[in-house]
Parts: sequence; C-alpha cells; structure tokens
Amino acid sequence: MSIISPQAAVIDQVIKEFPSGNDVIRVLHGISLGIDYGKMTMLVGPSGCGKTTVLSILSGTLSATSGTVTVMNERLDRLKNDDLVRFRRRKIGFIFQQYNLIPTLNVAENAAIPLISDGVAWEDALAQSGRMLDHLGLGPHKAKYPRQLSGGQQQRVAIARALSHNPALVVCDEPTAALDAASGQAVMALLDEAADDPNRAVLVVTHDDRIFSFADRIIRMEDGRVIDDGLTQSLPQKV
Amino acid sequence: MASLNSQSGPQSFLGMIGIALKMLMGDPVKYFGLVFGIGFSTLLMSQQASIFVGLLTWGANPVLDVRQAQIWVMDPRVKQPDQGQPISDQSLYRVRSVDGVAWAVPYARSAATVKTMQGNIAAITLVGVDNQSMVGLPEENLANSMAAIRGRNAAILDGNKTNLIWADGRDPVGEVVEINDNRVVVTGLTSSLANFSGLPTLYMKYSDAIAITPPERNKLSFVLVSAKPGVEPEALAKRITEVTGLKALTRQQFAAAGTQFIIENTGIPISFGAAIGLGILVAVVITALTLAMFVAENLKNFGALKAIGVTNQQILVMVLSQAMLVGFIGYGIGIGGTAAFLYFGQADPSLRGFKALGEIVGGSALLVMAIVLGSAYASVRKVLKLDPAIVFRG
Repeated sequence: MSIISPQAAVIDQVIKEFPSGNDVIRVLHGISLGIDYGKMTMLVGPSGCGKTTVLSILSGTLSATSGTVTVMNERLDRLKNDDLVRFRRRKIGFIFQQYNLIPTLNVAENAAIPLISDGVAWEDALAQSGRMLDHLGLGPHKAKYPRQLSGGQQQRVAIARALSHNPALVVCDEPTAALDAASGQAVMALLDEAADDPNRAVLVVTHDDRIFSFADRIIRMEDGRVIDDGLTQSLPQKV
Repeated sequence: MASLNSQSGPQSFLGMIGIALKMLMGDPVKYFGLVFGIGFSTLLMSQQASIFVGLLTWGANPVLDVRQAQIWVMDPRVKQPDQGQPISDQSLYRVRSVDGVAWAVPYARSAATVKTMQGNIAAITLVGVDNQSMVGLPEENLANSMAAIRGRNAAILDGNKTNLIWADGRDPVGEVVEINDNRVVVTGLTSSLANFSGLPTLYMKYSDAIAITPPERNKLSFVLVSAKPGVEPEALAKRITEVTGLKALTRQQFAAAGTQFIIENTGIPISFGAAIGLGILVAVVITALTLAMFVAENLKNFGALKAIGVTNQQILVMVLSQAMLVGFIGYGIGIGGTAAFLYFGQADPSLRGFKALGEIVGGSALLVMAIVLGSAYASVRKVLKLDPAIVFRG
C-alpha cells in the first residue's frame, strides 16, 4: 500500500509495571511505537515479551504505569474510566484468541453486541450486523449458535462483531492460534481486507509465523522492548 | 458510524437486558434451578407463615366468633378463651350494675364428652349462650340457629366437625346424643370459626348447658358485655375491673391474649419459625450459589463484554435483571403453590380458616427480591472489579 497514512495510535515512552508480592515487575521498558492507518501491523515475539501488554494498553483495557497513549488523537491516559469505556465501544474492535462469543446468543446477536451496548435499537443492530455477516460469508449461519460452528467460522463471527460498528482501530490477540492452517489463512484474508480501509488500522499480536505474510509491517519485541520495527519489504512478499 | 446513530442511555440498557435474559434462559439447568429453588423457598416461607398465622388465629377464634360482645369479663386468672375458670352467678349482676353497660349476658364454655346412640364417644366443647338474646352463637345462619336451640335440651352443632362424632358421614340433625347422662337432641347445624382445640362445638341455651354439666359451685365462664352508645369499650372494661375485681378485656384484647397464649405456651413459633428460616436459607443458598456459578462460568465473556465497551452499570443491570426475572417467576410459582394449598385445604377441617394474608404475600415478595438482588449484587461484584484485559490472558 503506497498511501502515507497518519498514525491511528501512538504510544510514547510507555512503561508498565505489575506488582508481584512486595516487588514490582517491569514488563515494558519505555516502549514507543505507532500504528498506521490502512495497514496491518503485527506485533510479534516470544511468550512473555510484553506484546499482549502493549495491545492491552493501546486498546485502553490496561493503563500504562507511565508514558503517553494516544489513539485517534485522544490521550487515553487522560480519559476518565467512563469516557475510556465509551471510547473503546465506539472506536475499537476486538478479536480474541478464544473468540469469546456468548454461547447462548446466536451469530447475529453476538455480532450485534457492540451496537446494542451503544444504544442502537435491537432490530437495527441485527440488520447492521447481518450485513457484515453477509459480507463475511456467514449469512446462512446468522440464526445458528456458536457451538454449531467450526472454530474458523466462530472467529469470523468474532471479526463481524469487531467490525460491525465500523471501528477505526481493530486489535487482534492471537486470532489464528486456535485455528488450523486453512481457517487461519481465511481469517487473515478477512482481516487483511479490513486493513485495506484507509480509515482503519489493524494491529495483530501473534507468534504464528504462518500469517506473517499478511503483514504490512512487523514489530518484533523481546523482554519488554522493541528490537525491530520493519516494513514487509524485508519479509516474504505479502499475499 | 454506528455511534452516530446510537442513542445510548435507556435504549442501550434495554438492549443489554435483552442480551442478559437470553444468556440466562440459554442455560436451562441454571435457569430452572434458580426458578424452582426460589419457587420452593417462597412456597416454604409463605405456606408455613400462613399456617402459623392461621394457628395463632385459632387461639383468638372463640372470641372472634362472638361478634356482638364488646367486652369479656372473667376470672382474673384466665389467660385465654378455652381456659375455663368459672365465676359466681352474682358476677353477672355486678357487671350489669356498672355504669356504661348496655347489656351483660352469661356465657358458659367447658369441655364435655358426648355418646351417640351408635355407641361412639367424642370430646366436644360445650357452649351455653344466653337464653333470651342468644348472644354467643356464631353469626352464620343465626336466625335458624336461634330457632333451633329454643326447645329443651336442644343443641346445634358445628357442622365442620361432625365427622369427629359420626364417622359414617350421616346428617346429625335429629340425632340424639348423651352428655353426662342427659339426652340432647341435635336440632341444627352452624359454622363456627376453627379453634385451637380442634374439637366440635355444641351450642345450647345457657340454662340447658349448665344443667347437664357436672355439679360444681360456679358454672358461669364469662360475662359478655356491650357498652352503651358513646362509651368506649376499653374505658368500660377498666371500670368493670375496678368495680367488680374481675378481669375485663375488650374483644380485641381477649382475642390477642388467645394468640399470645399460643405463642408463649407452645412450640409452634419455634417449629414454624425454623421452617420459615429454612425457606430463607434455601433461597439464599440456591440463589447465591447458582448466580455465583453462573457469573463465574461467564467471567471470560463478561471480561470480553467489558473490553468491547460494555459499562459496569450495564453489567450490573444485566445481572440484576436476570435475578429479578427468576425472582418474579420463582415467587409467582411459590406463592401460587401456597394459594393452591390454602384453597384446596379449605375442604379439610384441620386447615379451615388458613389464609395467605396480604402481609405474608407482600413480605414474601420483599424477602425474595431482597435475597435475589442481594445475591446478584454479591456475585456481580467480581465482574465489576474485573480487569477487562483478563480476556487477553489466554
């Protein structure tokens, strides 16, 4: 992608510490990075390197110990909790490793949750999520329940839920970890399409090297630090 | 964008309530477990409370049955209406002489045994009512009762308990029974309120009743009094006590003394209190545990919802609405069960007069709602404190 996009999210000199008994464990050591619009950025590294912590801080589900976090020109570290929750609901889409679909809601209802929680009328929310499901090829499965779907289909429902309210930032935590290779490729293809939108940024945390080829940019982390921040030119050609 | 079209506020809460109820009803084991647990405990609480109140009322019913009398005068040692401690016949005249008394009539109440012509014997309560005014007869079918009792040694019987005398279900009117070697003819039936002794009550004229009871110096159990217009019964009762030295209680006071006697002298409050306490315990345990389990099993999902942007207030409303739904349905089943028990129980003389009082219905509702909402709040606190980032931790 050749367009030069402003950055959707920026963290600057972020430190994150967790208490551990009487001690404090520092998991992020003054990290600075930005996530671009119109690109799929992957955050990779070994387990425990801090990539999920970065994702949590960028998505406003975890606060930094110090440093600044700016998403869509909004300083998350300055927002009050209610405003932060509202910001997440309207501006960010979430995709989790274990899908986290509500088992007693059908596919359409699961995909409509961000809309319903934001006050969109039930029928309107279902119609809007239904269009997203149609787009993702899940139209025939709208009335089914998660247990009736394969893992790949469930993750596609999770993608529909993440995109149904048209967020500007989509964060994905190990989206293919629970999927076979073919399903993982299909899911990544959908996320890649979502990342093509110049008004949206997609951040994927993964250690699944089978999907690196979908990245526009890969940031490597180790021991709470960024050790490499490169574009895909140095990687295998993007599919 | 969705957010531009969204209204937030009440609409978002309504939507999340819809999601919450689908989450609940999609788990039928817990849903029906909660509903029937609450239903059972409501049944236990309201049914046992109704029986308890009914039993207490039985202690007051011999007094409440006599609607015409405003004041009961008795031996100072008497504590309740079935406790016979006769007073002298002169007492009647002394009471009549007290200023403010409109009328005062004798009333005898004692235990007796009847023998039937078929050879059955049964314990009864024998009541003697004033020969002229017939004050002391139950209100039901009063005119017929007054006519039926006029003849010598004629008696009317509480029709609700005739099976305790004639087990073959025969019509007792016209039957001859023997009381203390005196022949008495049952000339009619009446219906008296259920009483604590559970014995059939036989009504006769006062003169007949004292004539067939064993000889003793005094046979007058109570003097029934009505105050003149404009005279407060309570003030008159005090005056009667001052003048005669006898105990004088208003109808309400003596009825209350009857229930108080049961409370103080029987194990009924403890046994029924234990059953009602058990009902509350069942409700608390089932509701608290099931809701806690439900929340614990859905913790990850709640974490995901919080990450997505569902607020703590919305989650609180979700869990409370789930609790209220099972509370309403469970309460409805339980109180319906109590109503059915009491309705069909009316056919059984031993359950006659038991009612689900408004206080019991309302009290059970408040208690159930307090339990389910308290349990829901206790279980949801964990979610409210939940860090949404938990959903990213595998």
